[in-house]
Amino acid sequence: MALTAAVESVGRVTRELIAPVGTGARFTGDVLRALRATRDWIPEFSTQARSLGVGSLPIGIFIALFTGIVLALLASYSVGDVVPPYFVGTLVQKTVTLELAPVLTGLALAGRVGANIAAELGTMRVTEQVDALETLTFDPLSYLVAPRVVASAVMFPVVVGMAMLVGMVSGWIASLLILDLATPQFLKGVRFFFQDFDVRYGLVKSASFGAAVALIGCRAGLTTMGGAQGVGRSATRAVVISAVMILVLDAFWALIWLTNRTLR
Amino acid sequence: MPAARRTNDFVVGLTVLAVTITLIGSVLWVRQTDLGDRTRRLTVRAREVGGVALGAPVVIRGVRAGRVESIALGDSGWVVLRLGLARSMALPKDPVVLLSAASLFGEWQVTVTDATGVPADEELRRGIAEARAGGDTLPGAVLPDIAQLTTVAGRLAGDVAKVADRVQVAFDDDAARELRESIRNVAKLSTGLARTVDVQSRNLDRLSVDVTTGVATVNRSAARFDAFAGRVDSATSRGELQRIVANSQRAATELEIAATNLRALSERLDRTEHRVATVVARIDSVFTRANGRDGTLGLLLQDPALYQQSDSLVRELRAFVADVRANPRRYLAVRIF
Repeated sequence: MALTAAVESVGRVTRELIAPVGTGARFTGDVLRALRATRDWIPEFSTQARSLGVGSLPIGIFIALFTGIVLALLASYSVGDVVPPYFVGTLVQKTVTLELAPVLTGLALAGRVGANIAAELGTMRVTEQVDALETLTFDPLSYLVAPRVVASAVMFPVVVGMAMLVGMVSGWIASLLILDLATPQFLKGVRFFFQDFDVRYGLVKSASFGAAVALIGCRAGLTTMGGAQGVGRSATRAVVISAVMILVLDAFWALIWLTNRTLR
Repeated sequence: MPAARRTNDFVVGLTVLAVTITLIGSVLWVRQTDLGDRTRRLTVRAREVGGVALGAPVVIRGVRAGRVESIALGDSGWVVLRLGLARSMALPKDPVVLLSAASLFGEWQVTVTDATGVPADEELRRGIAEARAGGDTLPGAVLPDIAQLTTVAGRLAGDVAKVADRVQVAFDDDAARELRESIRNVAKLSTGLARTVDVQSRNLDRLSVDVTTGVATVNRSAARFDAFAGRVDSATSRGELQRIVANSQRAATELEIAATNLRALSERLDRTEHRVATVVARIDSVFTRANGRDGTLGLLLQDPALYQQSDSLVRELRAFVADVRANPRRYLAVRIF
């Protein structure tokens, strides 16, 4: 009996670990199918895009501003005496465009956008607005989830693109003012190893981050139970899972695109 | 369409367009994309490109003139590079392309130079000559990599490290003690040496005084010799010396003749002595035989009767001679015809 109980507990733990993956995949599939109902979600797109994207620009710019300054100083501190000074520009460009602008902005937006979506949809769920939509034969996925996911996937690259620009400019200004680096030197470093791929990689990655954050937030919001406390738990869960998912996706894209890839 | 939605559409559209245009513009600027066709394209053929990557700078006479736009494998084992240069840049007369490391940090650059400016490296020049394809394609070759130099430098550094290790091993506490002792000994030695030098210096002073005196003496001798030489010179100038020499030569000749004569006389004396010795030997033999009773003289000397007879004969001969003198006609008849 004890052995049977132990085996059952192992199976239960395994199921509980795998179940979210399955339900998440099924939820994603349902959202993709809901995207076909364009008349339902396109009218809501701009509203969500302004709310999730344009409204997130200040925080993205703020993060990138200080990230660029810190990166320039870190580059100079780490390798300043070992390599030519223009490598500060190279390090700032590569780090900002490939990693920090997408990931830091994504993490920041995971808090803002993920929590926003989870709280909004969670409140709708606990106040039975979602049930009302379903009663009126409106698909909540088409009306509520699809516009948020698309808006998030589209606007995340916009915010990240702006963060890339701001990060580069702030790193440049920091190099000029703090590191006494000349503009031609900084630009030489930026241009020396620059490739279009760097920007494409960052933007595609951020689009996947946006879609993941919105999907996780929507799923957390639509599965909210238990009133205001439940809304809070859903928002927290959405932020935590979004942050983890951003890092997982970051590693995923690195494995897919950076493995066996060189600057040539 | 509600106004709020239109406002949302405008704000979102404006944001997207602004960010997209700014981002694309920045990328084109960073890439130095040629939008006005102000770039001239050159094709280069080389066996390999070393560490040259896309975007590597192209340099003419040390000035950046463009960048590498593409690198691709060509036919027959060639690598084809496409360079983008500013149209205002004038190429050298016979342009060739050298691919080389620009620094120790892995940066490479492409240098367009005249064929006469290629370093005097046989392999490099052979590579350039091999890569000449005619037409608009420029020949290219890779300069020896800095890695080769650093390899050699690394080997040298390893050797130096080994030497340093050995020195460290050899220079232990005992060696340091011995070295200190040696330094002390050297100090003592130098003190003794200084004392010796002082003494020798004084000796040298005295010696130098003696030498000065000797030099003065030599000077006086030289003056005398000079006077003697003057006299000799004077004698020579009056012909006395020639006469003396001539007389000496004559005397020498005569002495030589006299010596020759003496030598001949001596030889004759030798022969005479020899003959005298022979004569004495014979006389001795005669006397020996005369002392004996052999022979006529011995008998004459030893036999008194014979003496008496001889004496009697002498007397008779004297009487006969006296008679002949007295009466020559008796004994001599001289007739002519």
